[in-house]
Amino acid sequence: MRHEDIFAAVRRNVGEVMDDVDPAAVTLDRSLADLGCNSIDRAEVVTLTMADLGITVPVMDFQDARDLRALVALLARHAA
Amino acid sequence: MTGIEAINVYCGLARLPVPALFAGRGLDPARLDHLMMTERSVGLPCEDPVSNAVNAARPVVDALSPEERDSIELLVTSSESGIDYSKSIASYVHAYLGLGRNCRVMEVKQACYAATGVLQLAAGYLASGVSPGARALVIATDVSMADARAGYAEPATGHGAAALLIGPDARVLELDPGAFGLYSYETLDSARPEPDRDIADVDASLFAYLDCLSRSFADYRSRVADADWHTTFTRLALHTPFAGLVKAGHRKLTRELTGAGPDAVAADFAERVAPSLHYPSRVGNLCSGSVYLALCSLIDHLPPGAPPQRIGLFSYGSGCASEFFSGLVGEGARQALAPARIGERLAARVPIGFDEYTDLLAGNSRCLLPVADRDIDLAPYERFLTADPGRGRLLVHRGTKNYHRTYEWV
Repeated sequence: MRHEDIFAAVRRNVGEVMDDVDPAAVTLDRSLADLGCNSIDRAEVVTLTMADLGITVPVMDFQDARDLRALVALLARHAA
Repeated sequence: MTGIEAINVYCGLARLPVPALFAGRGLDPARLDHLMMTERSVGLPCEDPVSNAVNAARPVVDALSPEERDSIELLVTSSESGIDYSKSIASYVHAYLGLGRNCRVMEVKQACYAATGVLQLAAGYLASGVSPGARALVIATDVSMADARAGYAEPATGHGAAALLIGPDARVLELDPGAFGLYSYETLDSARPEPDRDIADVDASLFAYLDCLSRSFADYRSRVADADWHTTFTRLALHTPFAGLVKAGHRKLTRELTGAGPDAVAADFAERVAPSLHYPSRVGNLCSGSVYLALCSLIDHLPPGAPPQRIGLFSYGSGCASEFFSGLVGEGARQALAPARIGERLAARVPIGFDEYTDLLAGNSRCLLPVADRDIDLAPYERFLTADPGRGRLLVHRGTKNYHRTYEWV
């Protein structure tokens, strides 16, 4: 699965969960917390994205995903 | 049909307003809305998992005839607040409830899920017909060890127990046989590694809850023909670590499965989910009793004359194990639950302030520590024990003598 497609799914789900975030602000260098996502919002974005892409990532692995670049890379590893 | 014949909850004798806890701990008040909690139950040093279990189950057992009481041939306590490596909470509960000796007695553990696992095993056993007329008593019981170290989990943690009488005359909830979905895997999202210390990874825990809700419901749909998130269940009762997470879980599944927009999601939440959150928002997380506190809230807040309706229930326990299942709440359910006066008893808990709360925490933290001999003086807790004269007898924890826990009725 291409990183671009995974990032597009993450960006779409940030928009789903956060009404007030400008999609242009969702870049690879930002973290979900930077974008104003609280802990529930972050869990929603990640679980929605996994469901969209049909992939499963062990819960604890997300601890190391500090920004969206790392999150996309993590999802890509498990999509392979 | 097999299911819950009678249910009761015990949610302690003291309550702390959640805004006072936020102020006392210096937590960010902006996150109050996110929790959707108004107050929480607080334990006393003269309460423990045994007394909580007995105080939840006593009204249920007292309402039975001697023959019905003797038909309880399975007693299981579910707890993440074990009092001994070997001896179960259930062994004490069996004695103080005066149950018959021809009874299976045991304890189970799987964080906040265990009571549902036992409910399903008990219902299957009873429905098998190997012991006609038998009943089971399942009691979810816990004490909180959350303190300042727990961060935002502290204001959401409750105290108490839920007792479910399972049998053939399911006046409260008739279980849908074979209608369940399971999803479980190993993770360390929260745990109690020491008898006075809870640990939690908040992000992992929320993630696992939402993940398990979607996937256990997917498993339910694979077993139940035509099951539909929006139309199959008139109302929903979900494990409630805090009401805000239930709201997020409902939003997630509704969006995923129906494509509804924000306004439709909010209307559906108010209609189908909000009734289950009144009591949990005043008590906090009751561990494996939490989904049953939510069920009591839902039933007590049904409109008068509500027709029989199918309820979807979700149970999640860290570590993690989960189940989505369903049942029918009949026309008589409100009436069956009314004598428990749950709302009145929640209101009768004594309000305390932050300083008194932190004083109580010091005593409560010793509840599960192994000590050979200990005496607990009731005098400091007198005003809590006498505040609600209508509540009937109450069991309190008096200490230990050579490791044997001691109790007294007051």
